Amino acid sequence: MKNVLKLVRRFVGLLVLSFVLLSAVDLLFFAGIASRQMRNARPWSTAEAVAAALTETETGPVLSEEGAALLKASGAWAILIDDDTKTVVWHSGDLPDSVPLSYSLSDISDLTRGYIDGCPTFPSGTETGLLVLGFPRTSFWKHQWPSWDYRLIAHAPQLVLAVAAANLLVIFLIYAAANGRLLRSVRPIVEGIQALPSGEPVRLRESGLLSEIALRLNETSQVLQSQKEQLQKRETAQANWIAGVSHDIRTPLSTVMGYAGQLCASPGLAEEDRRRAALILRQSERIRDLVSDLNLASRLEYDMQPLRCREENAVALVRQAAVDFLNSDPEGKYPIEWDTDESLSVCPVRADRELLKRAVANLIQNSIRHNEDGCTIHVSVAKEAGNCLIRMEDDGTGATEEQLAALNTLPHYMACGEDCGEQRHGLGLLLVRQIAASHGGRADIGRSSYGGFAVQITLPLAKDPVS
Amino acid sequence: MDHTYLQDKRILLVDDEQELLDLVISVLHSGGYRQIAPAKTMREALALARQFQPELAILDVMLPDGNGFELMERLRRESDCPVLFLTARGEEEDIFRGFGLGADDYVVKPFLPRELLYRVTAVLRRSYKGERPLVRLKNSAIDFSRAEVVRGGEHIPLTAKEHEILSALCRNAGRIVTIDALCQAAWGDNPFGYENSLMAHIRRIREKIEADPSRPVSLVTAKGLGYKLLVEEK
Repeated sequence: MKNVLKLVRRFVGLLVLSFVLLSAVDLLFFAGIASRQMRNARPWSTAEAVAAALTETETGPVLSEEGAALLKASGAWAILIDDDTKTVVWHSGDLPDSVPLSYSLSDISDLTRGYIDGCPTFPSGTETGLLVLGFPRTSFWKHQWPSWDYRLIAHAPQLVLAVAAANLLVIFLIYAAANGRLLRSVRPIVEGIQALPSGEPVRLRESGLLSEIALRLNETSQVLQSQKEQLQKRETAQANWIAGVSHDIRTPLSTVMGYAGQLCASPGLAEEDRRRAALILRQSERIRDLVSDLNLASRLEYDMQPLRCREENAVALVRQAAVDFLNSDPEGKYPIEWDTDESLSVCPVRADRELLKRAVANLIQNSIRHNEDGCTIHVSVAKEAGNCLIRMEDDGTGATEEQLAALNTLPHYMACGEDCGEQRHGLGLLLVRQIAASHGGRADIGRSSYGGFAVQITLPLAKDPVS
Repeated sequence: MDHTYLQDKRILLVDDEQELLDLVISVLHSGGYRQIAPAKTMREALALARQFQPELAILDVMLPDGNGFELMERLRRESDCPVLFLTARGEEEDIFRGFGLGADDYVVKPFLPRELLYRVTAVLRRSYKGERPLVRLKNSAIDFSRAEVVRGGEHIPLTAKEHEILSALCRNAGRIVTIDALCQAAWGDNPFGYENSLMAHIRRIREKIEADPSRPVSLVTAKGLGYKLLVEEK
């Protein structure tokens, strides 16, 4: 719709510009013709020149040689009408017979404005009379009534502008009438093209001026829809396959973890055997976490994870995730320092509670996995510039600059379209990124001021429910 | 925390995998639970439930002749016994369906034996709280049914808020309970801005249960996070 308006604006602009340019060209053209017409003043000047060349002698008026030559060159005949007698007292040699030799005042008035026997006449006064030149019949056309209404001439500029505006309006009306149908045909086409990238199906009426284009657009939409359905089917199949495998693996893993858990607490076993059982349990827990992460990551990747977002207090939510971990770590190998400012008790975000807790838990697990000898985990929540910052740091081994750069720039193999099987860093960080992104935020990985690893989740703040 | 009074509860256990039944029975035995009746199908479970009159049912969702959700509905027609689902179905839709039908807990396989024991005990404690004896602490005991603390022969009454806070701590004895969860227990939903009130209540509770409230040994602080109630095993 916006594009159609743009098109109309552009066309009208072009129209106005063309009109102005054409008017300017017309004016120049008119000026050229007018300048050429200036020579039409020639018969009057010829008449004056011939009158001047006519001298009064005792034998009567005599035309000088220059005057005679001028008269001959102009192809005109001449008569001199006496002021007193109103009769022709002198005439050139080629005077047609039909030219009268005496004139009343009324005749003189007529010949001054018009013609004698169809020949255009141009008078000029002499000392004794009126010299009249007569030109061949088709040589000049004379304005016989050259008078204009005074008001018309006085308002000429306004009149010219009004006529120009009226012309412009008329041209635009002609354009609107002529192009209205075209524009009506263009609008659905433009809307159809705009709808294509959104993936919505396009069904245009295949009639009118642009029916061919409408047909092609409908066909393109059908192809895109079919490709989309195929892609969705494939993604659903893939996510279902992962969900199925993770389901099937859970029951046998329960047995392994259950018995391993019992064995590592069994007093009847030797210390070494209990240590081995504990190792089996730990590795089984890793498999459980991996399967669970893989399932969630694939659901998030293919938009199959429904987000149940509501307003949550990030301080309470992160605190609960930290406490859940502490409650499951009776050995206290990984103490958690709560670094949130005491004055901050509410930090509202719109979030899926379980998913966000999962992101925090994954970051804590990440610190544990990379610090087998234990480390202190610093957790904090802060409000900054309209965002909620959830920060997880540790004082463990951390990562090198190259590792950090790779984590921040290279895609995970699950989200990589090319051959990137070597990029097998944990699914945990991918999940944290996916969860942050699905909440309109982001996750940044870096070095901690405590010497280890740091990850910051940035989420947009929701409206404060308390205020 | 003492839960011996729960160990005689009758537990119906339903799962179609024999290995898993054996494992769960073994885990429950290790937690002191003695009366366990296993079943592998829905039909078997329903027949067993009529004779055994379970006080807790642990159900798998996928059974050869039906599903655990249906089984729960049929069990609930005859008794109000609490139900805990133990299943490999871990999608949110399944979990919400289970809770929506009135399940008391939902554990997704694979699970840690200790976690299962904690959850079974917690469900039983919540369901049979009227039978709860005194909760013994280092220097005192709490009698929730009378809402009082017994210390050195002296009976000290608890206020309603103190009772709520101590109940929440006691339900999670040995575990940290967050400041937010305690505020919610005492003041209900939207419990923002009650942190200072909570601290005042905790101080008064310590004055009642601790020998030296400035050096607490039963109600300890997890700085910035919450509080933990340490109870004495019998």
